[in-house]
Parts: sequence; structure tokens; C-alpha cells
Amino acid sequence: MTNHNHVEPTIITREYNAPMALVFAAWTEVDRLQKWMVPMPGVTCEYVYASIEVGGTSLHKMTFPNGNSMFLLTEYEEISPEHRLVFLQWPSNEAGEKLGNPQMPDWPKDMRTTIKLSESNGVTQLQLIWEPVNPTAAEAAAFEASRAQHANGWGSGLQQLETYLSSL
Amino acid sequence: MARKRTTYDPFNAIAEPNRRALLEALAGNSLTVSALALALGWNQPKVSKHLQVLKEVDLVVERKEGRFRVYRVNAQAMKPVQEWVTQFQAFWAPRLDALGDYLNEVQTGEQTDDEP
Repeated sequence: MTNHNHVEPTIITREYNAPMALVFAAWTEVDRLQKWMVPMPGVTCEYVYASIEVGGTSLHKMTFPNGNSMFLLTEYEEISPEHRLVFLQWPSNEAGEKLGNPQMPDWPKDMRTTIKLSESNGVTQLQLIWEPVNPTAAEAAAFEASRAQHANGWGSGLQQLETYLSSL
Repeated sequence: MARKRTTYDPFNAIAEPNRRALLEALAGNSLTVSALALALGWNQPKVSKHLQVLKEVDLVVERKEGRFRVYRVNAQAMKPVQEWVTQFQAFWAPRLDALGDYLNEVQTGEQTDDEP
């Protein structure tokens, strides 16, 4: 059955003072990914396995300063050096089995991330597109609601919260 | 007017800036109400009011120490909040910033390597 719940993706853009080839490598080479793929300072990232190719998957573990750990499973849909990368990502357990999100039961089960890169004068433009895959109406609403929370300024408190969480 | 009845979970408990400030003051510390009042520049009723909410959702635990009651953060109860921050609201933006730091670092490193 075709699903017609349309959701505007969240788009984040960044400029990096680095050549596109290096930025692409940072997204696709495990020894580079481990150096930065963390949600906040103080968290460490370690890949349990990684097959970064179309149809391949990777599993990485994040360890928080208080000892809590989390795993994320990634499945690669498209890898076009050095300008485009598309993957799906799920919270998972240490065996790479997908977990639901108990805090947000309606949070979209499948989230797709598209990374687009372009370079001019040694500066790389990155566009990150984050969107649910074929969301149900409830999932589309949950994704929409999260955006509203951002706009309400909850985002400004987040930095403090992260600082706090890192200190635990 | 009747007061609106509010039920709290850890997420709306920390959605309030005063309560986040209180949690930050308690990070790594066990403090009494009066010590918290001093640290935050609040009066004691204000500290007690917000502590009560955090206690209800188990984010803060209370312990008797002689004549005093001291409060500390319950790290275990913070776990779902931490997962939420990680998976959801703050997902990509901080990672992209971390990527920027990494790119600066490796490029500085590579330049240094070139010049003995």
C-alpha cells in the first residue's frame, strides 16, 4: 500500500574549511568516524563492525562519561564519492538488533539521512537532509511535533543540558 | 482559580529552565536546600518547590545525613533523558559541529607534520 503522509525533511547546512574529499572520508572511513561521530563532548565512539558500501551496515557504540552506552546501526543506501551519501540509522542493542524508542512510541521507525557535499574555493558545503521513510500518520505527526519543540526555544536549553549530561 | 493539576515525567520536569539549573548545581554534588539556595541565589521555598518535582520523577534522590537532608542526582533516572537527547532532538547538529572540530584538528595536524 502506498503511503502518502508527506513530511518536510529537516535540513541542516554547514560549511567546513576543508576539501570535499576529506569531508567525505570523515563520513566513510571508520578510523575517522570514530574521532567525531558523537552527540556531545566526553562521549567516545567505537565501531563494532563496519561495511561501508551500498547495502552494507555498520554498528557503532557510544560510551557516555557516566558509563552508559548506546549502539546505532547504520545501513548504507547510496555512496557516491565524494558528493553524496545516503543511509538509514536505528538505535540498536549490542548485537545490532533494532530497538524501538520507549520514550517516543510514535517516533518514525525508519529515518533516512542524506549527506550532500559541494566545494568552492577550498570550502566544503554540507547539506544534511533528515526525514522519516514512508511514515505513518502518527510518525509524521511525531516528527512534525519535534520541529515545533525546536522552534519554542527548547533548543537553547539543550546545550546546557548536554553540558550537564557530560558532567555526570 | 483552581490550580492546574500537572503530572510530571522526566522530560517535562527538565523542560523548565529553573529545574535544569538546579540539576546542574547538583551535578557531582550532594547538597542541602540551604546550600542550593546559596549556590543558585534563590530563596529556600523556590529551591524546595523545584526539588519536589525532580524528586517526584526520581531525577533527584534525598538522603538523611545527621540533622540534614542532602540531595543528589539519580544518574540512572537520567538515562532515558540522555537517550532522548542522543537519538532525537540534538541528533545531527552537535555531530556536525564535532565533525568541524575534527576537520580542523586533522588539517592542523597534517600541516604540522609537513614542517619538521
